[in-house]
Amino acid sequence: MARQLTPLGRVLVVLAGLALLGYGLFKYDVLSKVGGIVAPEKKAEGTVSRDDFGQPGSGEAVPSGGGSTTTASVKGGSRLNRPIKVAIVLWGGYAGGIMANGGMAPNPDSVFTRDYGVQVEMLQIDDFTKSRDAFRAGGDKGGVDIMWSTVDAYALEYDGLTKLAPKAILQYDWSRGGDAIAVDASIKSVRDLKGKKLACAEATPSHYFALYVLTQGGLTNRDVDWVFTDSAVDAANVFKSGKVDAAVSWSPDVYVAARERQGGHILASTKEASNLIADIFVARGDFLEQHPEDARRFVAGWLKGVEMVQKSPERAAVLLQKSLSGVNTLEDAKGMLEDVKLPDYSENRAFFNPQGSLVNYQSIYQTAQNIWRKIGKLSRVYPGYQTVDTRFLEGVAEYFPRAEEAKPEFEFKTPPKPAAEPILVKTVSIFFPSGSSNLDENAKAVLDTQVVDLAATFGSAYMRISGNTDNVGSRDTNLRLSRARADAVTRFLVSKGFDRNKFEVVGNGPDKPVASNDTDEGRAKNRRTDFEVIPR
Amino acid sequence: MALNVREAVSERHARALALAGLLTFLAVWCVLSYADIVPSVILPSPTEVLQAFPVLHFQEALVRSAGWSLYRVTMGFALSGLVAIPLGLLMGTFPPVKHFLSPLVDPLRFLPISALVPLFLVWFGIEETMKIMLLFVGTLVYLLPLVVEAVEGVDDVYLQTATTLGASRWQLVRHVLIPGSLPAIGEALRVMNGIGWTYVILAEIVNARYGLGHIITVAGKRSHVDQIFAGVIVILLIGVASDFLIRIVNRQLFYWKR
Repeated sequence: MARQLTPLGRVLVVLAGLALLGYGLFKYDVLSKVGGIVAPEKKAEGTVSRDDFGQPGSGEAVPSGGGSTTTASVKGGSRLNRPIKVAIVLWGGYAGGIMANGGMAPNPDSVFTRDYGVQVEMLQIDDFTKSRDAFRAGGDKGGVDIMWSTVDAYALEYDGLTKLAPKAILQYDWSRGGDAIAVDASIKSVRDLKGKKLACAEATPSHYFALYVLTQGGLTNRDVDWVFTDSAVDAANVFKSGKVDAAVSWSPDVYVAARERQGGHILASTKEASNLIADIFVARGDFLEQHPEDARRFVAGWLKGVEMVQKSPERAAVLLQKSLSGVNTLEDAKGMLEDVKLPDYSENRAFFNPQGSLVNYQSIYQTAQNIWRKIGKLSRVYPGYQTVDTRFLEGVAEYFPRAEEAKPEFEFKTPPKPAAEPILVKTVSIFFPSGSSNLDENAKAVLDTQVVDLAATFGSAYMRISGNTDNVGSRDTNLRLSRARADAVTRFLVSKGFDRNKFEVVGNGPDKPVASNDTDEGRAKNRRTDFEVIPR
Repeated sequence: MALNVREAVSERHARALALAGLLTFLAVWCVLSYADIVPSVILPSPTEVLQAFPVLHFQEALVRSAGWSLYRVTMGFALSGLVAIPLGLLMGTFPPVKHFLSPLVDPLRFLPISALVPLFLVWFGIEETMKIMLLFVGTLVYLLPLVVEAVEGVDDVYLQTATTLGASRWQLVRHVLIPGSLPAIGEALRVMNGIGWTYVILAEIVNARYGLGHIITVAGKRSHVDQIFAGVIVILLIGVASDFLIRIVNRQLFYWKR
């Protein structure tokens, strides 16, 4: 006699049936096959290695319009009858504008208003996504006309903003210590990061900084176990709590985290990688089109402010503390100013000129775009010149008549401390003809792609260049030859515009092998030049 | 058509009204976006949102992400059910227990879950435990009071009748309070099923390789408004589907309340 099932029984029978079916599908591999079609994996992440950085000409040729010396005119449009609205964050790099404006709000005593006839209102929006929402809304509709970004991050977010036709118009700072990698006691150099858990906010300057340091130190993006957080502050907190081995974050959180964790310390920061993270202002295309004259005056006033900061940094720190929310003491404000370098008019011109600085807007943009694409964060690419408009910067030349060519920024008076631990060692094989220390064109090309960018990016750091040989031939000859070769490399780098005192030259001869000299392969590995980045 | 207070509507009529509401909403969206009244960087058009689906599917593993989010929300929901139902029964049955716990439980409804994220990171780490615990707590604080209310809502008449018939304390709970409150508890579970989804973005803020909340956060950062809409639509669809499912299960299980 068939018994009526209770409703609970019916539900259970259905569940059991589904479970059985599911197990069967799983067991006979149907699930994974169907899964591949119904639920594809994320787009595979490519490998980023050191070769992805510092490749000149890895992008398209830049037409001369993108930063040439011809002064394009800023004409047409109408004048704005409200303040220019600018989204900023808690960061020392805005000192120039805050100084010029005498604070965040538009006021009659502002240099912008008094000398350049524009009103400027700065809005501190610390939440990244909200600042982008404000930019999309636009200054006419309760948002902003101009927002902060960094060249590396802008290369990624440009894709989502194309409809606004945004343009980079000004560099307001270089991060100089503002971004850093905090590590636990076991990590002494970049190589030690292999297999470790590294926290950072995904697809941000922190992420980019980490990729740069990892690859230059001989690792790839696949060598670490990434832990992505929503913000840089979260990354620092995760590190502080001991859940990861290393974290990339920004000042002051990253320094606090490194201090508060037992054995924690800073592995590298933008103090050494001084020309990597460039903070820029990006303006809406419609704003620039409708009010180009206002944009030009904004740029002029801001750069005047940079000069004012240089003249009286004390006053700038006081204003910074008063204006930004989250700066508790004057000391904090001074620290924030020390974490940035504010480029003046000439330095800005050199930065936006593709043939200007060794590391410039175009080179960072191209490299960053290439890297985001390789790790699957970006599928469409845009030429660098489309993302920038240098007319406003060029149009303010009249206000800076005494501006000279940008001078080298760092002075290297004393040689590096011999005991100083290098942050990273980049090993490069440079081919020399047997017995010779002459650099051929091939060797120069290798140096151009592998070393010039590294030396320029770590602009403030010393570099130890050591030549190494295998054990074939007499030790004396090898010592002399390795030293001569390292000298030749150094001379080449100096010819590129570096200070001779930046480099320490060492000839190790056969004394520091990295592989066995018994095999051809091993000997080839031992014939190498090591470039050690040493903090000052 | 005049609207009368609590006028009965036939089922067919009700469906037509629901459809009309949906179509009106879509029409307004179409007009606002296609006519460019609201720029597409703020409100994407339906076409753009549809086009975002293949991108998310092939590049961001939309289905896997939905699966992971569903898993986290379901686990959080199931855990909170496991805790809230017995505890709520206890509190609803024995007022002393309720009064003992109320200073702890009542204020929890005002708990800002977002403030818990950094704490949970430290307590539960950066893996799944942290995400599920966040969803568990987020759901529990709303579910528990509803369960208590459901138990208290059982009419005294039933208890008195059972007592008169000589039921023991255990029998009162087993044969009166539990069956009496279960349908309301089932209804509470159905409503609270949605709460987990409101916290999924917070839960997936740290170290989520897959997740709808993660997709929406990232899309927001990169100004892909169309992808945000697409992500939200997927969450809504899952919500509607699971609601429907729980409704059916409730109807099957609690037939005596029909």
